[in-house]
Amino acid sequence: MQALLSYDQSPPIEAPFRFFLTAPVFGILAGVLLVWTGPGAFLSRWTPEALALTHLITAGFMLQVMLGALIQVLPVVAGANMARPQLISRFVHGAITLGAGLLASAFLTFRPWLFIVSSLCFIVGGLLFLGAAAWAMRGVPATGPTITGLKTSVSGLGVTVALGAAMAFGMAGWFDLPLMQLADIHLGWGVVIWAIGLLAAVAYIVVPMFQITPAYPAWLANWFARFSLAATGVWTVVAITGPDAAYLIAALAMVGAAAVFFGVTLSLQRRSKRSRFDTNQYCWCGAMASMLAAAAIWATANTLPAVGEWPGWPTLCGVLLLFGGFVSVITGMLYKIVPFLVWLHLQNLGGGVRMTPNMKKIIDETSMHRQMLSHFVAVILLLVAVFRPEEMAAPAGVAVVVSQAWLAWNLWCGVSVFRNYRNRILEKLAVS
Amino acid sequence: MDTIRELLGDHHRQCDELFAAIEQAIEAGAWDRAAGGFARFEKAMQQHFDVEESILFPAFEARTGMTMGPTAVMRSEHAQIRELLEAAAEAIAAHDADEYSGYAETLHIMTQQHNMKEENVLYPMCDQHLAAQSSALVMQLRDGIAG
Repeated sequence: MQALLSYDQSPPIEAPFRFFLTAPVFGILAGVLLVWTGPGAFLSRWTPEALALTHLITAGFMLQVMLGALIQVLPVVAGANMARPQLISRFVHGAITLGAGLLASAFLTFRPWLFIVSSLCFIVGGLLFLGAAAWAMRGVPATGPTITGLKTSVSGLGVTVALGAAMAFGMAGWFDLPLMQLADIHLGWGVVIWAIGLLAAVAYIVVPMFQITPAYPAWLANWFARFSLAATGVWTVVAITGPDAAYLIAALAMVGAAAVFFGVTLSLQRRSKRSRFDTNQYCWCGAMASMLAAAAIWATANTLPAVGEWPGWPTLCGVLLLFGGFVSVITGMLYKIVPFLVWLHLQNLGGGVRMTPNMKKIIDETSMHRQMLSHFVAVILLLVAVFRPEEMAAPAGVAVVVSQAWLAWNLWCGVSVFRNYRNRILEKLAVS
Repeated sequence: MDTIRELLGDHHRQCDELFAAIEQAIEAGAWDRAAGGFARFEKAMQQHFDVEESILFPAFEARTGMTMGPTAVMRSEHAQIRELLEAAAEAIAAHDADEYSGYAETLHIMTQQHNMKEENVLYPMCDQHLAAQSSALVMQLRDGIAG
């Protein structure tokens, strides 16, 4: 009944846009960090620079867009509207923006109070979002894999934030915790259940929808979330209790399932009926190929000692997964969602089709395509920097700044079109 | 026997196939083929909207007593999609590939998010509330979309 009553309430445009427009700021900061600190981020996944960079992308760029998109998408795919979306989004956005900024500073300076305050921000923002999402989704039946996937991934966010906050208190010296072990579990839940889980839940809908491909096979869509959750649950238990062989088998199951999802997505995209690829499709393909490569490197490093001994492989996996994978696919999604929401909200103001620019006139297509190319150049430079950090860290950082600033510019162009046309429509309605 | 969700969800996919064929014709510069394809696509879309508005929505409204709920939203989205269809038809008639591409993209996303709401929320609710008359209703809907 909740879904029925809230069916026609679409969140105001400011609710998701607040998150979408903030995301590239964290992307720019990540590039600035690389230019400023040089090779440190590429020497090990545990250096302060690497930890700060990783969290600028995950807790900054990615979290912003993922939460903004969920606020928009829950009513459409599940009929689950958040109560007071404007208020919730304002508080959640404020909390996670402050939290991500402080967390990156905490890793760079190791000041205990920064860890405490940033984790409090994430706890407040996370609880507020999870509470609002759970309230909106209460009573929504799991009528398909997307809704099951959304519920599973949002629960993964809860575990990720809880573990991250516990570690932050540990870093501040409040508790004595096995931080390295907890960091791996935090990473596993954050990447596999929250981020890839959400990506898969959304992909079941948007890949066939945007790209006119066949649907995902039922065995994958029905079992991916359940299998990933079971494998990650077992992996978490054996991570604490051992033995090592069971830990590796459970981890291979988690990564293997994700790799199957990436591979199936790539194969579906090859069967797209769209006459030519657009920026969204290139971003998806690049992201899936990059994530598949990350999974292959992870599996090789964990099964072949000769590769596993190379200290650069975790950083290589990180670049492929975060920049090549998530940043690419999120960029592609923003280029569909932002123009559509601008169009939809202008329509709902009463503009009608004739007074509203069509989607291709909201963000210039050539500019989107070139920004995407600049992002792929940045990914390649980051990959080279893994092998030659001294020479390439700063150029890679500059490339990240350029591509993220360009993304911000493109998104702001969409907002500017919205403001111009909104004023015109409101003036016309006032006259008539 | 199909459920309402299966029948109308499958018809959404058939409309997508017709939509993709128009894009391919325009990409090849075959405007006559594109115009023929668009006529078939528009007819299928109109039939789909017609059966929903004349058969499915009234049955749902009569059963639940809700006339200003989800069906009202779906009707208003049908009106927006019909306007986009008109604009896209004009671009085809003018052989304007850029203009068609802009309206087609908007039409495609608008239609897809509309379909998503129907398939994930409205159709399951219809299957649940109209279970007693499901077989007769599905036959009527099938006849309607078959033209």
